[in-house]
Amino acid sequence: MVRAKFYDGINAERYTAEVVVAGPHSILVTPSVGGPVELDADELTVADEDKQQLVVSRRGMPGWRLILDQPVDPELRAALPGTHRYGGWIDRVGLGKASLVLAGIAGAVLLVGHTAPLWIAPIVPPSWERNVGDAIVGDFGDLRCRSPQGEAALNALVERLDPGATAPGASQIRIAALDVGIFNAAAIPGSHIVVFKGALDETKDVDALAGIVAHEIAHVRRRHVTEALVRELGIGALIRTFAGSVGANAEQVVGLSFTRANEREADADAIATLKRAGIDPRPTAALFAKLSKEAGGDSDPALEFLDSHPGSKARAGNFARSYDSKAIYRPALDPATAKAMLSACVAPPKAPKGN
Amino acid sequence: MITGAPAAQGRAIRFTGNWREYLPIAATNVLLIIVTLGIYRFWAAARQRRYLWSRTEVIGDRLEWSGTGKEMFIGFLIVTLVLLPFFLFIQFLFPALLARGKIEAAGGVLVLFYVAILYLSGVALFRALRYRLSRTWWRGIRGGSDEPGWNYGGEYLGRVALSGMTLFIAWPWMATALFRSRWNEMSFGSLKFRSTLDAEGLKRRWMLIYLAPFAAVLAGILFAMAAGAANPDAEGYNLGIAMMLVVVIVLFYIGIPLATLHWYAKYYRNAAETITLGDLEFGFDATTWQWLKLFLGNIALAVVTLGFGLAYWGYRNWAFMVRHMHLHGEVNVTALGQSTTRVPTEAEGFADAFDIGAI
Repeated sequence: MVRAKFYDGINAERYTAEVVVAGPHSILVTPSVGGPVELDADELTVADEDKQQLVVSRRGMPGWRLILDQPVDPELRAALPGTHRYGGWIDRVGLGKASLVLAGIAGAVLLVGHTAPLWIAPIVPPSWERNVGDAIVGDFGDLRCRSPQGEAALNALVERLDPGATAPGASQIRIAALDVGIFNAAAIPGSHIVVFKGALDETKDVDALAGIVAHEIAHVRRRHVTEALVRELGIGALIRTFAGSVGANAEQVVGLSFTRANEREADADAIATLKRAGIDPRPTAALFAKLSKEAGGDSDPALEFLDSHPGSKARAGNFARSYDSKAIYRPALDPATAKAMLSACVAPPKAPKGN
Repeated sequence: MITGAPAAQGRAIRFTGNWREYLPIAATNVLLIIVTLGIYRFWAAARQRRYLWSRTEVIGDRLEWSGTGKEMFIGFLIVTLVLLPFFLFIQFLFPALLARGKIEAAGGVLVLFYVAILYLSGVALFRALRYRLSRTWWRGIRGGSDEPGWNYGGEYLGRVALSGMTLFIAWPWMATALFRSRWNEMSFGSLKFRSTLDAEGLKRRWMLIYLAPFAAVLAGILFAMAAGAANPDAEGYNLGIAMMLVVVIVLFYIGIPLATLHWYAKYYRNAAETITLGDLEFGFDATTWQWLKLFLGNIALAVVTLGFGLAYWGYRNWAFMVRHMHLHGEVNVTALGQSTTRVPTEAEGFADAFDIGAI
């Protein structure tokens, strides 16, 4: 017979109880209030167990507590249920084994999560991506520079670099100039390429702009944009949700970023494109060189073509080295078209209201 | 039977844990959180609380934490399911409006978004407190609340907005009124918590936070003028400007947190003193200096242990709270009946999602 503290869960009065083993998996409890009751181990749970005491609670009876002082008689302990230590199946399997299994799973999840964008992006149907892209950007509303000559010139530049790219179809590239005063261009979901007014205003040499657009075309063709979308919304987001909090993610408005590998690949493609089209790569190289000098601080690589990460100088070198003194280069656009493109956003005609 | 606070035996509420005893819990929690990529943190929190509660003695009896990791995990999943579509919608809507040049509409969406976040933060605060009380047992009795917290969310939103309109000068009135509303809805067993907290005695400390940035700038300017007067040439002028910036920045980053701590120290002392539960009265005696030592100790511990010390922050904070808490008066344990409040099932999902504490 063991004496224990007892609470009935009806009021805060402290009672005592006598506890004896009634069977291999049952005990007989005789509290100082109420009659004796035989309880099966199934009806009980061990709420807590430490070096000082063992707290037993009873299913369906909130607040019912039997508190036994340690050490508890081994025969009595055996008649009671086991303790929940780490929780769930970890208790059954054992901490060591469970940790190894979990670490293995965690490694696999991380690996899949990390590489998922690379193998998911190519199988995303372009039409699906186009819908997402259109939902996000539409036709850019009031921001778009709607000069017909300017738009025709931009399309002509894309055609010059990638013949047939602007023809309607699943892989049509849609280029637009936006009335935003930053020196930049971007590839956006849905095979959109945008060139900002700042870039058109400040470009002296259209061939440099051709290099930029060639780079953006590469991002679209290689599906880097899709990859970035998957990375942003996919398994990575899920892991971050668990590791951090939903609140932290709330502030994070869509900011797609390309990996360094993406950028290198797009540069290599752009160099090849310029070569195929017979456009001098040196103006693009000069632009990079200028930017690497100007670039201070770190900029957000989100959707940016000309970010200032430390590779700027090396990238300029890659373009410069691709110059072939024996090749015959032609300007990217004839002077009239070039002028139309650069002035695409100059005094834009009033856009019709609405989207 | 009447059980008074046993003044002869010392403190009516005391912490009996020690860090060596807690070490196996802390270490295995860290291990399991790492190998589960963070998912175990719900179970880790439950284990931590079970230990901390069991080492907190109130009038000779231990507290007991009955919350489980599973229910906190499920609470988190539910909240994620509710909030995720909302966040995804905003994530697309906001850039979509920006991309179309609808700056005003985008701004409007953002404002609505923050209003919703503020409302849910209020609800989360209330529900976190209710959940914790409902899982806290003492002598077979638990706490809780009959209110689900939706009204409180509205009150929270309204009061924060009003306080915002006064450029947060009215913060002490707002914070204390919300504290009252929250605690006056809480109960333990058949007894209701009552709080009469008001802004009395808090206004000066709040003004201090308010004045800290101005004081920093002013001190900087005086410093620069003094430096300029001492060296009335161009070099002295540059030195003066540099000094001024240093002074302003240092005062800013040290002054404002210190002033905030100073405010919270008093706020907690006042808040605890105004709470009653039946004939029980509470008290709290931690000073600004003691809070500062707690936080600096936490940081130092984490640095010295290369991060492992983070696992002890919860332990140290809880021990600090309990050690500075006082309990006076009597409790009629025969009359203290079981709580009739509904047991919330969704745990702390909302509070967890917004990363806010309970008290």
